[in-house]
Amino acid sequence: MKSYYKYLFMTVLAISCVSCKKYLDVTPANIGTIDYAFRNRNEAENYLFSCYATLQQLVYPQNNPGFTTSSEIIFPNDLTDFQGIDPTGFNLIRGTQNTQNPGLNFWDGANGGQATFRAIRRCNTMIENINKPVDLSADEKKRWIAEAKFLKAYYHFVLFRLYGAIPITDVNLPINSSTEDVKVKRDPVDDVVNYMVKLLDEAAPDLPVVIQNQAKELGRITKPIALAVKAQILATAASPLFNGNPDYISIKNKDGKALFPSAYDATKWDKAAAAALEAIKICEANGVKLHTFIPTANVGNLSDSLKTVLNLQTTITEKWDVNTEIVWALNPVFPTQSYCMPRLTAKAAASPSFQGTFAVPISEQELFYTNHGVPINEDKTWDYANRYDLRTSQDADRFYIGNGYETVKAHFDREPRFYADIAFDGGIWFGNGLTNQESLYYVQGRGSGAFAGPTDNIRINITGYWPKKLVNYLTVYDDGYTIADYRMPMIRLAGLYLLYAETLNEQGKPAAEVAPWLDKVRARAGLPGIVQAWSTYSKNPTKYSSKDGLRQIIHQESRIELAFESQPGWDLRRWKELQGALSKPLQGWNIFESSPINYYRPRNLVIPVFNVRNYLWPITNNDLIVNGNLVQNLNW
Amino acid sequence: MPSGYIKKFLLIMKMTSFMLMLAFMQVSAAVFSQKITYVNKDATLKQVFKQINKQTGYNIFWSPKSINSNHKIDAAFKNASIDQVLVTCLKDFQLTYLIEGKSVIIKDAPVVNTPNVTDEAAADNTITGTVKNEKGEGLAGVTIASMGDKKSGTLTDNNGRFVLDVKDGSEIKISSIGYKSQTITVTAGKKVYNIILVEDVTSAETVVVTAYGRKQLKEAIVGAVTTVKPGVLKIPASNLTNALAGQVAGVIAYTPSGQPGQDNAKFFIRGVTTFGYKQDPLILIDNVELTSNDLARLNVDDIESFSVLKDASATALYGARGGNGVILVKTKEGKAGKAQINVRIENSTSQSVKTLELSDPITYMRLFNEATRTRYPLNPIPYSENKIINTQATLAHAPGSNEFVYPAVDWMNMLFKKRAPTQRGNISLQGGGGVARYYVAGSFSNDNGILRTDIRNNNNNNVNYKNYQLRSNVNINITDKTELIVRLSGTFNDYNGPLTSDGSLQTQLYNLASHTSPVDFPAYYPADSANLHTQHILFGNSPAASGTDGASKYINPYAQLLSGHQRYSESRMLAQLELNQNLSFITQGLNFHAIMSTNRYAYFRSYLNYNPYYYTATNYDKASNTYQLQWINNLSTGNNVAREYLNYTPLESNNSTFMYLQGVLDYAHTFGKDHNISAALIGTRQQTVNSSVNSGNTTTLFTSLPYRNQTVAGRATYSFKSRYYLEFNFGYNGSERFSANHRQGFFPTIGGSWIISDEKFWGDLYNVFDRFKLRASYGLVGNDAISDRRFFYLSDVNLNGGNPASFGTNNAYYRPGVSINNYENDDVTWEVSKQTNLGMEFTVLKKINVIAEVYKNNKYNILQDRASIPTTMGLESGISANIGKAESKGIDISLDGKQNIGKSFSLAFRGNFTYSENKFTQYEAPDYPEAYRQQVGQPINRQYGYIAERLFVDDNEAANSPSQVFSTGGFAPKGGDIKYRDLNGDGKIDAADQTFIGNPTLPQMVYGFGLSASYKNFDLSGFFQGQAKVSFFIDPARTSPFIKSPDSYYTGNTQLLKAYADDHWSEDHQNLFALYPRLGPDGAVIENNRQNSNWWLRDGSFMRLKSVELGYTLPSRIAKSLGVKNTRIYFNGLNLLTWSPFKLWDPELGGNGFAYPIQKVFNVGINVNL
Repeated sequence: MKSYYKYLFMTVLAISCVSCKKYLDVTPANIGTIDYAFRNRNEAENYLFSCYATLQQLVYPQNNPGFTTSSEIIFPNDLTDFQGIDPTGFNLIRGTQNTQNPGLNFWDGANGGQATFRAIRRCNTMIENINKPVDLSADEKKRWIAEAKFLKAYYHFVLFRLYGAIPITDVNLPINSSTEDVKVKRDPVDDVVNYMVKLLDEAAPDLPVVIQNQAKELGRITKPIALAVKAQILATAASPLFNGNPDYISIKNKDGKALFPSAYDATKWDKAAAAALEAIKICEANGVKLHTFIPTANVGNLSDSLKTVLNLQTTITEKWDVNTEIVWALNPVFPTQSYCMPRLTAKAAASPSFQGTFAVPISEQELFYTNHGVPINEDKTWDYANRYDLRTSQDADRFYIGNGYETVKAHFDREPRFYADIAFDGGIWFGNGLTNQESLYYVQGRGSGAFAGPTDNIRINITGYWPKKLVNYLTVYDDGYTIADYRMPMIRLAGLYLLYAETLNEQGKPAAEVAPWLDKVRARAGLPGIVQAWSTYSKNPTKYSSKDGLRQIIHQESRIELAFESQPGWDLRRWKELQGALSKPLQGWNIFESSPINYYRPRNLVIPVFNVRNYLWPITNNDLIVNGNLVQNLNW
Repeated sequence: MPSGYIKKFLLIMKMTSFMLMLAFMQVSAAVFSQKITYVNKDATLKQVFKQINKQTGYNIFWSPKSINSNHKIDAAFKNASIDQVLVTCLKDFQLTYLIEGKSVIIKDAPVVNTPNVTDEAAADNTITGTVKNEKGEGLAGVTIASMGDKKSGTLTDNNGRFVLDVKDGSEIKISSIGYKSQTITVTAGKKVYNIILVEDVTSAETVVVTAYGRKQLKEAIVGAVTTVKPGVLKIPASNLTNALAGQVAGVIAYTPSGQPGQDNAKFFIRGVTTFGYKQDPLILIDNVELTSNDLARLNVDDIESFSVLKDASATALYGARGGNGVILVKTKEGKAGKAQINVRIENSTSQSVKTLELSDPITYMRLFNEATRTRYPLNPIPYSENKIINTQATLAHAPGSNEFVYPAVDWMNMLFKKRAPTQRGNISLQGGGGVARYYVAGSFSNDNGILRTDIRNNNNNNVNYKNYQLRSNVNINITDKTELIVRLSGTFNDYNGPLTSDGSLQTQLYNLASHTSPVDFPAYYPADSANLHTQHILFGNSPAASGTDGASKYINPYAQLLSGHQRYSESRMLAQLELNQNLSFITQGLNFHAIMSTNRYAYFRSYLNYNPYYYTATNYDKASNTYQLQWINNLSTGNNVAREYLNYTPLESNNSTFMYLQGVLDYAHTFGKDHNISAALIGTRQQTVNSSVNSGNTTTLFTSLPYRNQTVAGRATYSFKSRYYLEFNFGYNGSERFSANHRQGFFPTIGGSWIISDEKFWGDLYNVFDRFKLRASYGLVGNDAISDRRFFYLSDVNLNGGNPASFGTNNAYYRPGVSINNYENDDVTWEVSKQTNLGMEFTVLKKINVIAEVYKNNKYNILQDRASIPTTMGLESGISANIGKAESKGIDISLDGKQNIGKSFSLAFRGNFTYSENKFTQYEAPDYPEAYRQQVGQPINRQYGYIAERLFVDDNEAANSPSQVFSTGGFAPKGGDIKYRDLNGDGKIDAADQTFIGNPTLPQMVYGFGLSASYKNFDLSGFFQGQAKVSFFIDPARTSPFIKSPDSYYTGNTQLLKAYADDHWSEDHQNLFALYPRLGPDGAVIENNRQNSNWWLRDGSFMRLKSVELGYTLPSRIAKSLGVKNTRIYFNGLNLLTWSPFKLWDPELGGNGFAYPIQKVFNVGINVNL
C-alpha cells in the first residue's frame, strides 16, 4: 500500500512539475510569415498586387485633391446625410485645412488620404525579396521589379505634388532601427525629382510596351505609362510652384539645407519637353490616338452636333479596352456616377438613391468657350454682358437644349465640350436609355418640384450644374438603375498633347510650333485652330502670339479639355493659379425657385479660403513632434 | 453635494490617523501589563490559571486527565512572565504548554512513559445537549471535542443537538467558526448541557482561504487578504458582481448597465493599476480560473468562502496572472450529519432608478424651429404653426384632433414598462457520514426586462434571462489519510432579448427612443377600412426622402422593439477531481493535494425577426377627420423588404475547453515549542482552447492555438511563538505568449507579520486593543495578459488579404494581396508589478474589528505602442515595447463591530472604504512642447479635452476670438457657442489646447457602510454604498437635440432633454453659462460644442441606499409545528435611494445616459431550513 502511494505521488508530481518547456511552445513551425510571401511565383505575384493596392485606391474622386480643390466641383457641407461621400476633401476650399488633423492626409494615411509611405515600404519589400521565388522566370522578374520601381516612383510623386520636399525612401529602414535613425529628414525638391526620374528610367526599359494579355493584365504598368509619368513629373518640377518659387526659399531643414530651389531654371522645361515628346511618340507608335465615338447598336443616325458631343462625352467613358486614347487608367471603375447625374425621369426623381450632389459652379461653366472656340468674354459675337438674360430654345438648338425650353443665354452658342461635359437646366441628355436624337431627355432642374431639382437636403445639387462628363451615356437612372461602368483615365493622349504644347511654349517656342498640338485637341472638339479662332473672333486677336498670351490659352484649353478629370486641379497648383481661381465666391443658381426669372439669379455658395500656404499640404503637428528633424511647410 | 463626499473622506482619514496615533500611544503606556502578580501560599492550579486569564487575557486549556486542577502550589509571583508562572505551575507534572494566539494549551510533555496521575476512576458518561446562538437558534455543525481525549468528539446536528460519551470531569470544548469557543467541565450526574455560544467579533480564529485554497488562521496571514462573509453578498439581484461595490475593502466597482444578463459590474482590485491590456483581477472558483461572468452567476448560498487577495504576498503564487489581484471563491462542501435541506425562494420587481426626462412634443417642435432659425435664418423652418397647433390638439385630445396624422408619441412610455418581475429560487442538500459527505445544490433565476410586448406580435421581444445551476460536491474518505473530492457543476444561461444592430446584446432601444422625433410619425396606425384584414401591425414611419437601403426614412422604435428578438444559450459544465493525501508515512506533516479540473463551454446565438410594414397617413381631410394609409416600404428587393414571417439568422457560436492540473506538496512542522515552519511546492498547468465561429470577429490560426500557462510556485513560512510570522513566496511562471528567452518569469515576495498584542509590553493596552497585528509585504507579481496579440515573437502576416488589386479588362484577375498585422518582436516580456503593502489589524474594546492597509504598486514593463516611430517608416502596424510604467497607491479600511443589548437586541455595524489613486510614471508620447499635454504624472483614465470658459456673448465676439473651427464643414462658432481657452496662446484652438480635465472616469473612492439590528425574531439591516472622486462626460454628440447621433444606426433626430429645453442659450435668453449652448439643427454646425471639454464634465460621485432588508424568523415552536427547522421571511430592496449632484440620469451609468437604466429592486423572499 505504501509503495502504491509513493508511485501515485511521484506520478502526479511529475505531471505537475515543469519539466518540459515544450508545453509552452504551442506555435506550429510553418506559421505564415513575410518569408512565405516570396516562396514561389504565385505568392510573389500576390505581393506585387499588394504594391498596386494603394494605387488602385486612388480612384475615389472625393479623396483626390485635384478633384476636390480644383474649383470645378462644390459639395455642400450641410447635407443631412452625406450618402457615403466623405466631404473632407471638398471642404478644404472652405479653409478647413489644419495642421492638427489635415484633410486628405497622404503622409499619414488619414482623412481620405492613402498611407503612401506604407505603399513605398511594400514596394521596397518587393524589390528586396524578389530574388527568393525559385520558379520566377528572369523576364518576369525584370518586369516585376520595373513595376515595383514605377510604383515606388509614383508614390513618391503622390507625396511630392502635395508636400514638395519629402524624405526619399529608397530602402526600408529595419524594424529595429534606433529612434535616431527613423527620424528622417526631408530631401530637397530637386533630389526628389531626380530620384523619381532615375527610378522611371530604370523601370521603363523592362516594362512591356503594350499589355498583350488584356483580359488578365490590363491596368498593369507599361512603358508608355512610365514615360508619360516621367513627363508629368518633369513638367511639375519645371512649373512655377516648384521652380524657383520665391515663397519657398525660406523652407530649410534644421541643418540649413534649402528644400526648394531658390532660382528659376529654364532648362527644366527642356527636360520636360523632351520627356513629353518621347511619351507621345511611344504612345502614337503603339496605336494610341484621340478617341471618337463608337456608336452602340441601337444608336441611330446622329446629327453632326450630337456626334461631336458624343466624341467628347465618350472620351473618358468609353470602354477602356476599345478606347484608343487612354494611356493609363486605374482598374477600379469610376465609383460616383450617381453623384454626377441629374434625375431625368419621374421615377428617378422618386428614388432615394440618385443624389446628383456634385455641383459645378457657374465659374467653371463660364470657362468653356463659345462655339467659336474662344473664351466667352473674348468672343466679339457673343453677348457676354447679358448672358444671364433668358432665351427660349428653338428647333435649331434641339440637340443641345430642350426645344422650347427657357433658359439663360449663357447656355446657348457654346462649344461642344460645354454640352458634352456639363448638364444644366434645359440641357439635352443623350442617353439614360434614350438614344433617338429627336426625343431625348433634357434636364429640368428648377425648384423642388422639378425632377432634377432639390428634393431634400440629401438629394440636392446646389448650383444647378452637373459634371455630365463623368457619367456614361449608357448609364440609366429610372426605376432602379443600370450603371455603365468606365475607368477614369489617369493619363490620356489629349493631356499629353496639351502638356507638350505647354512645355514648348515655356521653352519659348513660337506659336506656329506650339499651336498644332493644341489644334489636334480642338479639332476633335469641333473647334477651329488657335490662330484662326482668335484671329477671327477674339477681342484680343493676337493673344496667341505672345508667350504669356499663349500660356493663358494653353492653360484654359487644358482646363476645358481635362475638366473634372482631376488633372486641372493639379495643374492649377503647379501653375500657381489656384489662388486666382478660388479668389471669387463660387456661385450657383437659385435652385429652390421654379420660375426661370427667379431661378437664374446667381447665389454665392462658397466663399473659398485659399492662401499661399494652401498650395502645399501641412505636415501633421504630431509628426513634427515625433520626428524633430522634419520641418513644416510654408505658413502652416 | 460633492463637498459632502470630500468631508466624509476627510473624516474617515482623520479617524484612521487618530486610531493609529492612539494605538501607538497605548503601546508605550502599557508595556508591563503581561506580567502576573499573584501571591497565595495555598493556591490551586485552577486559581492560578484564573489569575493568568484575568491578568493577561490568556485562556488556559487543560485536560483533567493529565492534570488535577486542585493540585496546590505555593504561588508567589511578582511581575512574573506568563512563562515563569506556567513553568512553576507545571513543574510537578510531565506536562508542557503551548501558546497559540491568546490560548495556552497544556499538553503532555514529549516523554515516553505516560505518568498515570489522572483520575482513572472517572466514569463514562453519555451527555446530551443543545448548542444555540444568542438568538436561541440551534447551531448545526458545532464541534464538541473532549479536551483530554482526542478520539472523543462529535458535531451538532441541524437543530444544534449533540450526544457525546465522555468521562466525568473531562473538559469539553465547544467551538464553531465565528463563535467564541467555550470549555465546560462535565460533572458527574449532569447529563444535559445547554450551551449558548456567543458570536466572536474579534474573529481571531477565522479561517482564511488563501492562494491555492490553503486554509490559514487569520492570525497567520501576512499578506493583504480580505475575506467577505458570503452573506453580505446576498442582494436581491441575480448578479453577484453587483454586490461587490462598497462591500469589499480594496475593490473598486461600478455597474454601467441594468439590463438583465448584461449587468455585470466592472471591478478592479485596488483600482486600475496599469494602462495595459488586462486590468481586472484573476477569478478563481474552487481553484479554477473562470470569468467574471461565471462569478456573476454564482449562487451566493453555495459559497463557502470569498477572499480577495490584494498584495504581492497573497498573489505571488499566481505569479503570471495575479498582478491585478485575485478573487478566490470556494463553494460549500458537505458536512457530516443528517441531511439538511435549505430552500430559498425570492420574487422581485425591478424598476428604473431614474428615467430620462424629455421635453414635451410642442417644446420639441418650437425649439427645433428655433435651432433652424438661429443657424440658418434663410432656410425654411421644419415645423409649421399649423402642425404645432394640431399636435397641441392631439395632446389635449381635443375634438377633431387626430393623433395619427399629428402624432405626439411618448416613445419611452411606448417601449418600456414601469416594472418587471424576477423570480429566483435555490435548494441545497447536504449531509453525509464518516465516509462520504455531499453538498448538492440547484438554483434557478428568471429575470425579466422592462421592455413592452404587444399581443398582436408573434414573438416575445422582452429581455428574459434565465439561469440554472447545478452543483454537487462530494467528499469521500477513501482511507483515513486519503480524501477524494468530486465537484460537478453546470451553469446554464438562456437569454432572450431585443435585436441590436451592432451585434451586441446591450439593447439599443433607449438610444433609439431618445433619437426619434416624437412628432414625425405614430408608433402604429389602427387598421383602416382598406386594411381590415391585414395580419401585420401597421407601423408608422415617414416616407424616405433619401437613403439607399429601403424606402422608409427612419427606424420606428416600436417596430424595432416588436420586430424580432435575439437569443443566446450558454452553458458551462465543470468536472473537478481533487485528491488530498496525507503523506505522514513519508514524514509527519507532509500532505499532497492534487486537482484535475476541466470544463467545457458552449455558446450560440441567433436572431429571429420579421421586417415591419411601414405606413404613412396621406390625403388627410381635416373636415371629415379622415386619412388614407399608404404603404411606404413597397420594395421588391433589398434587405428591408417587408415580411410578415420570421427570418432566422444564426450568429456566432463558441466552444471552448479548459483543462487544469495542479499538484501541491505541503509540509508543516513544529520544532521545539515555538518554531513552526511550513513549506509548499506547487505545480500547475492550464490550457484553454477556443473554437469560435464568429460572425463579427475573425478567427485566426493564432486564436485557435491553445492558451497555456505553467507555474511552479513555492512557499516557505516560519513563525515563532505564533507571534512572529515570516513568509516567502515565489512564482516561476511560464506563458506561451513570449519568445523562448522571455517565456518564464520569476516573481518572489516576502512578507511578515507581528502580533504585537501578544507581546508582554502590550500590557494594559489589552483592555482597549485586545488584538493588534502589524504586517508588511513586498514583492513582484507578473502579468502575461498584456495585449490581445498572441505571439509577440512571431510576425502576424495575412498572406491572403488586406491589400487587394485586380487587373484585366473586367478586373477579372484579382489577388487579395498581403498585409502585415504585426511585426515580430522577440523582446516583449512580462508586465511586472512591484507591490508594497502595510497592514494593521486590531480589535477595539473587543467589539470593533479594524483592518487598515496602505499600499503602493509600481507597475513596470507595461506594453505600450511606440509613439516614437514616424509614419515615414511606412510600418503597417504599430510596434510595441515594455516601456510604460504606472504607479498606484491607496488605502483600504474595513471595520465591523457588534453589540448585544440585553438578551434580545443586537446591533452590528460594518464599513468599508477604498481609496486608490494612480498615475502614469512613464509613458512614451510625442514630446509635446506644452507641459499640460504630458501624460506622465496624470492619473490613468483621466480624460483629455478643452477648457471651456463660457459661451460666446455674440457672433462678434466669436469672430474676434482665437479661431476654433472643428467642423470639417468649416463652420465657425457663433454667439452662444462654447468658448475654449487658448492654452498655448497661439491664436487658434486646436488639439494643442487640450489638457487633462476632471477626475478619472473610474471612481477613485468607493465606500460602503451598513447597520443591522435584530430584535427577537426580527432583523433589519441597511447598507449604503457610494463612490467619489470620479468624473464623467455628458456625451454632447449623442445628447444634442435635433441632430443625428454620430452612430449611424440611429437615423432619427435626437430628442430634447427637458433640462436642455429649460436651460439653453438663445437669442432671447443669453445665459453665458446655460446648461446647453446655442441650438443647431445639424451636427456640423454645432461641431464646436460637441468637442470633449469640461463644459460637459460632471461629478460622478454618488451615494446610494444600496439595500435594506427586513426579516422575520418564525419562532421555533411555530416552525416546529410546520415541520421545518427554521424559516425566515424577508423583504428587501436594492438601490432604493440615490444622492448625487448629477440629476439628469443615474450617475453610475456615467456618460452613457441612454443606456438601460440601473434597476431598483423590491424583493420578498423566504428561506426554509428543513
